[in-house]
Amino acid sequence: MNESQKYGELVTEPRKIGYIWLVYLLLYAIAIPWYWPAHYRGPLVLGFPLWVAVTLGAVLLLALWTTWVIHRYWLQAGEAD
Amino acid sequence: MGEGMVFGPGALAAVALYLFSMIGVGWYARQKRQTDSMADFYLAGRSLGLAVLFLTLYATQYSGNTLFGYTGKTYRIGFEWTASVVFMFSVIVGYMLYAPRLVTLARKEGFITPGDYIRYRFSSPVLTLLSTILMIYALCNYALAQLKAMGAAVEGITDGAVPGAYGIVALAVIMVVYETLGGMRSVAWTDVIQGVVLLLGFGILAFLIPIKLGGGLENVVAKLSVMDPPKVEAPNLQGANKWISYVFLLGCGAAIYPQAIQRLYSSRSVKVLKRSLAIMAFMPLTTTLVALICGLTAAVVLPDLSKGESDQVLARLCALVMSESMLGYWLVVAVFAAALAALMSTADSALLSISSMLTKDIYQPYFRPAASEAELTKFGKISSWAIVVLLVVVAIGTEATLVRLLELKFEVLIQVVPCFFMGLYWKRLTAGIALTGMVCGLVVALGLTVAGKPLVWGFHAGVLGLFLNAAVCGIGTLLKPTPAS
Repeated sequence: MNESQKYGELVTEPRKIGYIWLVYLLLYAIAIPWYWPAHYRGPLVLGFPLWVAVTLGAVLLLALWTTWVIHRYWLQAGEAD
Repeated sequence: MGEGMVFGPGALAAVALYLFSMIGVGWYARQKRQTDSMADFYLAGRSLGLAVLFLTLYATQYSGNTLFGYTGKTYRIGFEWTASVVFMFSVIVGYMLYAPRLVTLARKEGFITPGDYIRYRFSSPVLTLLSTILMIYALCNYALAQLKAMGAAVEGITDGAVPGAYGIVALAVIMVVYETLGGMRSVAWTDVIQGVVLLLGFGILAFLIPIKLGGGLENVVAKLSVMDPPKVEAPNLQGANKWISYVFLLGCGAAIYPQAIQRLYSSRSVKVLKRSLAIMAFMPLTTTLVALICGLTAAVVLPDLSKGESDQVLARLCALVMSESMLGYWLVVAVFAAALAALMSTADSALLSISSMLTKDIYQPYFRPAASEAELTKFGKISSWAIVVLLVVVAIGTEATLVRLLELKFEVLIQVVPCFFMGLYWKRLTAGIALTGMVCGLVVALGLTVAGKPLVWGFHAGVLGLFLNAAVCGIGTLLKPTPAS
């Protein structure tokens, strides 16, 4: 396989799809703990205080979202290994 | 770092064997070289497959700072350092913003360095040179931090029998030998070993520290809630601002690290690159989170350490584990090997990148425009040795007053970000506007740092500089008259 087949023209890329970044914004808004009351701790969830568990859950969702975005919206012509 | 963590002859022999195996890998990589070209030396002939690309991205992104710096930081501020899990993830989002277009362009145009892209896109020697200087400066500081940590590590495990300076020299020599033997192929293949050791090390830590020393995470957090409640509480609004600032600092800065960009260039295919980045998105949860848990355990098991001592908490925890059983002892040896792996894999990648930029972006255009690929590759190898000598001298002899200046990495590096994030997509962004933005960003970042205000309302000086830089680029582009055709 030659170089142009491996790296053809871009068909789609995440940067160009607006709603991808809205979802990122939403998940980051959950991951960054700006909305908890002062000195909040909360009950323990899997050993973590609730606010930390929410942040870690949001990071997991961010990672899953990124995997899907890469798979679905980063497409190159003639893409092959 | 090695407070109370002294290795016996067997463990030292195992560590030495591990280190010399790196030179073996370098020699093997040299046998596998296909040409004397720069693409072969600096990008492994653009041939990296999934396992190698993922592990080299992983070992390069997670440095010695993740193991030692982050555990120490968590020890001092507690759960607020969960920010590290968020910002290390953000590096992958940074790639999403520019990598698809850059790697496509890089293949077509045969880019070797980030400077190749800037030269191609803006046709401006001044912008290319300034960007290259900023990137080299940031990388030198990055490599320097790793070298200093290597010295402390060697001094620690030998109980001072081997002075830190000797440790720095020995490890730097091993690194530069395997790097000049096989270039990116050596560095990436040693990263495979180092990445596996690092993953193993974090796996051991995840099990060993909270369970064996802390009696489980729930127990650790319950005790910490009583001993030091602020370490368990959510941050205030200024603290949250700092999280946002870190997301920009790392999400933009670490995503355009030259060694990271060169790994994007080196992948065998786009499919390989996409899969590697998808796996990398989950790594903060297996790596940074483990460092966080270790730091919290230390806050319970070893309270009341000073700020200086707190950067050694991981070594102190390991010393406790070592003293308990033979199994614990050897597990700690594995963790130490992981620490060396983290330090060396980051430093060697930075070194290779510096050498490539000196050769391709400075030596060739300004001194030897007609040089052959073989001559440039040879110059690159010689420059690697020169850089190592310089960095070792600075690492051994740095005065404390210079430390803050030498710590500046991301603040400086992220001023190059608009050239990539905006330059790849905005055709009307000119070299003049990008250069003006870069200079304005640098003035703000360095000015605030020198004025003793590295943080303003929780935002890093470099990030405020980047905001101004991006605003100059955005407004300058909008105000620029539209071309007639």
